[in-house]
Amino acid sequence: MVELLAPAGNLEMAKAVVDSGANVVYVGARGWSRRRDAYELSDNQLHEAVAIVHAGGAKLRVAINTNMQSREIPLLLGKMEKFVSWGVDGAIMTDVGAIAEVHRRFPQLIIHASIGANVLNNEDVKFYRSIGVSQVVADTKLTLRELVSRQTDMDAGIEVLIHANKCYTYLGKCWMSPYHRLERTRDDFGKDLFRGSPNRGGLDYRVCLEQWGLYADNALLEPRIALKNDAFFYLDDIPALIDLGVHCLKIQGREYPIPLVAQIVCFYRELIDAYSANPADKSFDLEPWRVRLAAVQAERDAKRSNMTLVLLKEARQPVPHTT
Amino acid sequence: MKTFELNTTISNLQSLRESDLCTYDAVYLGNIYCRSFQENFLERLNDLKDGIAYVKDLGLRAYATSYGAPRNDALPKVQKALEAAVEAGADAIEVHNLGVLRMLHEQFPGTPAHIGGFANVYTDAGASALKDYGAVRFTPNYEISLEEINAIADTARLPAEILVHGKMPLGISDYCFLLEYEHKWEEKCPTLCQKCLLLKQGDWAMRSVGKGVLSGKDVCMLEHLRALVNAGHTVFRIEAAYESAAYRRDIGKIYRSALERAFAGDGRVDEANWDSIRQHTEIALCNGFYFGRTGGEYIGNVHEPAAVCRA
Repeated sequence: MVELLAPAGNLEMAKAVVDSGANVVYVGARGWSRRRDAYELSDNQLHEAVAIVHAGGAKLRVAINTNMQSREIPLLLGKMEKFVSWGVDGAIMTDVGAIAEVHRRFPQLIIHASIGANVLNNEDVKFYRSIGVSQVVADTKLTLRELVSRQTDMDAGIEVLIHANKCYTYLGKCWMSPYHRLERTRDDFGKDLFRGSPNRGGLDYRVCLEQWGLYADNALLEPRIALKNDAFFYLDDIPALIDLGVHCLKIQGREYPIPLVAQIVCFYRELIDAYSANPADKSFDLEPWRVRLAAVQAERDAKRSNMTLVLLKEARQPVPHTT
Repeated sequence: MKTFELNTTISNLQSLRESDLCTYDAVYLGNIYCRSFQENFLERLNDLKDGIAYVKDLGLRAYATSYGAPRNDALPKVQKALEAAVEAGADAIEVHNLGVLRMLHEQFPGTPAHIGGFANVYTDAGASALKDYGAVRFTPNYEISLEEINAIADTARLPAEILVHGKMPLGISDYCFLLEYEHKWEEKCPTLCQKCLLLKQGDWAMRSVGKGVLSGKDVCMLEHLRALVNAGHTVFRIEAAYESAAYRRDIGKIYRSALERAFAGDGRVDEANWDSIRQHTEIALCNGFYFGRTGGEYIGNVHEPAAVCRA
């Protein structure tokens, strides 16, 4: 049975998504995941989250998927020691060196190559398998055909994002945001926080969504270029993904309001269950689901637009230099 | 005097033949962003072989690069390009994708691999892990600081290649938005992306190359070469995949002589160099992320870098 993986940006959300039908929940360790700190959990909260999620019969994965600094790897291993002893069920990671170190230290821990690892082809999957990764998150740009070939040829689990955004660039291979603004601070535990760098600190100013003009030799060619960065919901491909046997359908959205995230989880839970219960020889009608999803999507789009405006405004703020 | 390597990037045979490479020690051949780039070495394998021979005849080291973000459908071509490069005697292969690194290591063991900037080396542990796959050099991810680069190179005992001048890669895509608009313009694919196309918004600017985004400002480390040398770096790149032959020639000349001085203990900058740099700078200068700050900032004695460049 395919797993439904849901986000939790706080403890209340962790409880809500489990109650809404998530099989697995992921949370970010504060300072170490690809979201701003408001949507990450302190170590104590993370300990509580393990209990909440396990009590609901689900599993908990911890995202430590920023590209940290070399000197921070011992800090990370210390954290992982605690997380493993608390019973986390897996770690979502990006940095090749950190993955190799964590796998060496905790060989039983299931490691998932994050979307930030940008696993693009079957040879990539083999590489990540060789350093200790068990499951890979498929890049949002991959087609169903590419996933089919991966599922056929690979011995790694595949996770597919069914609610996320499809950036203009490949995730994990973009530093447009910190090119325009990077604010570096250090937390109480010695972890550097790179506000402005999605790869390093989790906060992306979404500068790709600015209203760019395109110029050639100082002449304006196009007044408004759209560097596509669209949030999406999968619907039509869900039956095919289930039939294909992907291991996990993943919902992103730690930054959204709890009721909205719960609604999304509930929608996909019911869809997966309905499709799974549908007899193989009977067609499955997606139309009622499409109507239902449209309402959720409208709410999500409004929230996302507001967040983008706030981020773009923040990107224009001067950086206080402390070093 | 300690020896160093100054290298650059060239996308096709025509650009290679037009370029005066006398100030360089090595050249990377191929365009990492787009399979449709005009006569890309990575798609025209006879050109790649000819290019490697041409570079070696000049007495330089010839490196073949590979695609920055190859999907499954590109891998057969990547495979053929690796075969062609190895057969033609390339001195190393630059690899941005870890799957391609694995292919190279398994099929052509012993071929030196240079880890490219899109391979995302951020840590010493990451660099060490890639050494097991034949890496002999790495270009750090562009958003890490010199302090971090120095620590990785020291701990992993792997030389770092430092981009000292040129437009820094900021992102790579599978999608060329220029194709949506080209019907309105005279210039079309595959030459359109070679024009200097700038995305601008207020005082922000980035260079678009269709499937890639580069910094609008040129990274310039001319004032900081002594610090790079003191940190033990010996491999330097002038990023010029989308630049003219004149850019390669003039910027190469400046850095060759400045690096020779820096290795001799003299870190001063010849003031006349700024005039030449001005001729080849569309927006302004920056230091990338080398000083742990916003990538578009410039730190140096040239207090107003924009003032030495065209507005």
